[in-house]
Amino acid sequence: MGGKVTCTLGEVKQRADFIVYWGGNPAECHPRHFTKYTIMQKSRFLPRGRKDRTMVLVDIRETKSAKAADTFLQVKPGKDFELITILRAMIKDQRVTDAQIEDTGMTREVLDKLVDQMKNCKFGCMFFGMGLSMTRGKHMNSAALLTLAAELNAFTKFVAMPMRGHGNVTGADVIMRWQTGYPFGITFNRGYPRYNPGEFSTVDVLVRGDCDAAFIIGADPGATMPQPAIDHLKRIPTICLDPHITHTSKLARVHITTAPQGIAAPGTAYRMDELPLPLKPALKSPYPTDEEVVRRINEELQKKPFWMPEGAPLTMTAHG
Amino acid sequence: MTLQVVNNATCTFCGCVCDDIQLHHDEVRIHEARKACVLGTAWFLNHTAEKKYPVALVDGKEATLDEAIEAAAHHLHEADMPLVYGMSNTTCEAQKECAALADQLGGLLDSHTSL
Repeated sequence: MGGKVTCTLGEVKQRADFIVYWGGNPAECHPRHFTKYTIMQKSRFLPRGRKDRTMVLVDIRETKSAKAADTFLQVKPGKDFELITILRAMIKDQRVTDAQIEDTGMTREVLDKLVDQMKNCKFGCMFFGMGLSMTRGKHMNSAALLTLAAELNAFTKFVAMPMRGHGNVTGADVIMRWQTGYPFGITFNRGYPRYNPGEFSTVDVLVRGDCDAAFIIGADPGATMPQPAIDHLKRIPTICLDPHITHTSKLARVHITTAPQGIAAPGTAYRMDELPLPLKPALKSPYPTDEEVVRRINEELQKKPFWMPEGAPLTMTAHG
Repeated sequence: MTLQVVNNATCTFCGCVCDDIQLHHDEVRIHEARKACVLGTAWFLNHTAEKKYPVALVDGKEATLDEAIEAAAHHLHEADMPLVYGMSNTTCEAQKECAALADQLGGLLDSHTSL
């Protein structure tokens, strides 16, 4: 993922003696993260396990994960970007006023200790969740945190990693990057891939009513998207592939039941650290797999005339 | 009745993708998912090999797979700006087919990441 300072969870398990969770609640959303990869593991380099590791939790409220943390820092809602920027200044001994620190809900004493811990650990890792990336500032917050991790490498080894949810959403990023060069928010409407989140991202496309058909797979926007987006899905022909009859299936013109991945469908899934893992389905489904259905739709489409008229330029021209 | 055992199965509920789960099943449903967390256990135990739903629905009516695939291809081909979205709860192999679908349609391609 373009220049991200990161590592695998295996390295975290073996080496990370300082762990920060920012805007995430692993105790409830990724229950085995602590025991399998981070604070509870004993390793060759950290033989005493939990005693050799320090964990800091940064969040706007005290979640169940706070019990596992050595330090819980309660940041004021919407002040994550400010706090990260203050930390970036403080690690470089730049001047920060008390008023600026208080504005984020912190005290100088607390941040001095945090900066000291960050600079003096052997291997630090920051995990950031949707509390950081889905609130005010969005991708700017993630970018700031990744920059902080990069800058900490002037003092010690430091990395950052997003806490991805939703099963194989990491795989979707990886596959789109591999196939198109971009991770999401892509259009092929000029015959080659272009990337522009905000213009080509789904919520925006649906709320504006830009698309005139939708193919939904492994997702249930009918249950999760804002109402104007759902209304547009109802207006246009929507096609839905899912192991269950979902909210989206109910508003779709076409629903196809497929085998659930990893339970009855074989294949590959990516872990949050972008490590691909093979699936081991236990059951045989009476339904076809997603892969088979999409391939058959592709084959059906190949029998129809191509959308771009023959002779039309497929390459970029001076006028785009 | 003895249950069959699958060792080191992979759980795809959350981003941890734990690959050390022991599944005990009778070919119809999974009865036990050892080492899995509460979320993973619910994920494994809630899916069965039973035929609970129709193979396909077209305009709310039951249809065959062939009819549904034909209808899907028709709607997508008719559209000027089709959208291919989701791809979270599916395999990389299916995601690759989705990228090919959007490419072939000249459409939009997007995942949960953009939310």
